[in-house]
Amino acid sequence: MTTSAGGRSTAAIVVEDATKVIDGVTVLDRVSFSAQPGRVTAFLGPNGAGKSTMLRAILGIDRLTSGRTMIGGRPFREHRRPIEVAGALLTPDSAHPRRTARGHLAVVATSNGLPQASVERMLDLVGLGAIADLPVGQMSLGMQQRLGLATALVGDPAVVILDEPHNGLDAAAIRWLRGVLRALADAGRTVLVSSHLMSEIELVGDDIVVIGGGRIRAASTLADFVDGAPGTAPVPLEHRYLELVGEL
Amino acid sequence: MRSAWRAELLKIATVRGLWLSAVLAAAAIPAVSLLVVSTGGLGPRDTATSGAATGSLIGLLAFGAWGATFAAGEYAQHTIVVSLATVPRRAVLYTAKLTATATTAGVGAVVASTVALLTVLAVTPRGEHELGDPAALAGVVLAVMAVAVCGAAVGMLTRSVSGSIGIVALALLAPKAAADLLGGLQRWIVGASPGTVITQIVGGAQLPTEQAYPRGAWAAAATMVLVAAAVGVAGSVSFIRRDG
Repeated sequence: MTTSAGGRSTAAIVVEDATKVIDGVTVLDRVSFSAQPGRVTAFLGPNGAGKSTMLRAILGIDRLTSGRTMIGGRPFREHRRPIEVAGALLTPDSAHPRRTARGHLAVVATSNGLPQASVERMLDLVGLGAIADLPVGQMSLGMQQRLGLATALVGDPAVVILDEPHNGLDAAAIRWLRGVLRALADAGRTVLVSSHLMSEIELVGDDIVVIGGGRIRAASTLADFVDGAPGTAPVPLEHRYLELVGEL
Repeated sequence: MRSAWRAELLKIATVRGLWLSAVLAAAAIPAVSLLVVSTGGLGPRDTATSGAATGSLIGLLAFGAWGATFAAGEYAQHTIVVSLATVPRRAVLYTAKLTATATTAGVGAVVASTVALLTVLAVTPRGEHELGDPAALAGVVLAVMAVAVCGAAVGMLTRSVSGSIGIVALALLAPKAAADLLGGLQRWIVGASPGTVITQIVGGAQLPTEQAYPRGAWAAAATMVLVAAAVGVAGSVSFIRRDG
């Protein structure tokens, strides 16, 4: 962890030779990449490419067969107050359906010794304040995604990891999320986001990492990725991406 | 660790089904005692204290199932992902979960035992049964805590609510049911099983001599606690080693 000029702690994500074998199948094959503070890094790949496994491994939820992942220079598990280092939205249904949004965030905050004020701040940020006492199971998928984002941000972390946060969001919420991601990166945070929405990634991404078949297919700035031949216009991200991973 | 423990307690407090089932598990102990006493179920050698403990087997089953549901429910409801992302040190998360389970079960058992004793004293005619040693109800509390912790540990091991409840019920009921098959081992196995430990500590009910623990009631309790600790360690090793 380092401290930026603005006083905020910053931390890069570094993945080195990450390999994961499950039941004899290589899900991740010597994957290496990094995500830097102040930038939105898009993590792209087709379904089953190993994106979610990689994100879970970064957070220490899945153990790698070999290789290592680090946040702020050390494995995530070794940080003393982890949710102040990294926050994550991995699945929208990861809150107990009978617990309220306020109760869910209170559990998360309490687990790291954060005050109740951080819960109220997050509820306001994601626009769930009015329905904070509704059981999560009665919320729409979009609301659950907002709660997942609040869960990721409640510790005001240096690193934010979001696995397909656009799922279930309506147009207004997608635009809202775009602004949130940009603001997080502009504030010096490292934002790593997986998504299938190429149009959104084009709008908000700074860097891009493409994974396919468990291997890194591309890792560069978004601008370099979509750059066409000299003298030609940039290629749409979706076109370039499908060229790389193949169409159905 | 303290924060993680408080968060586990908050998990219980913020889901009605979890805290209500703990309340019902506790309520079962005095309710069964009341039923036994009011239907003339106490023997001449029973005391008010042993009468208060007559509902303990139901309490053990209920708190064991509750502990299993609390722990395995993390997997059934997919909340384990957030738990691991916020408390990534598995030893801390696991210890917090088991201590929160023990805390809740312990508080529930203390209240339940006290209410059961007061209920028995209120219902039985004065002078019909001696008071006995109310401090022996600590045996009920100890057994309930041990069984609830085992339930939680098995829940983390199996990740299955129904499977872990079945294992806890089997572990509680099978030793006594299959006592004759155990031969000379039944003094050690049945004698250290939670229900029999309570019987030995509070006295009163007839316990076949071949099922009485050889070294006495509190040695039986110590063995029960050691077994619970071993189950807890087994769950911990499994939880820490395997992938999430």
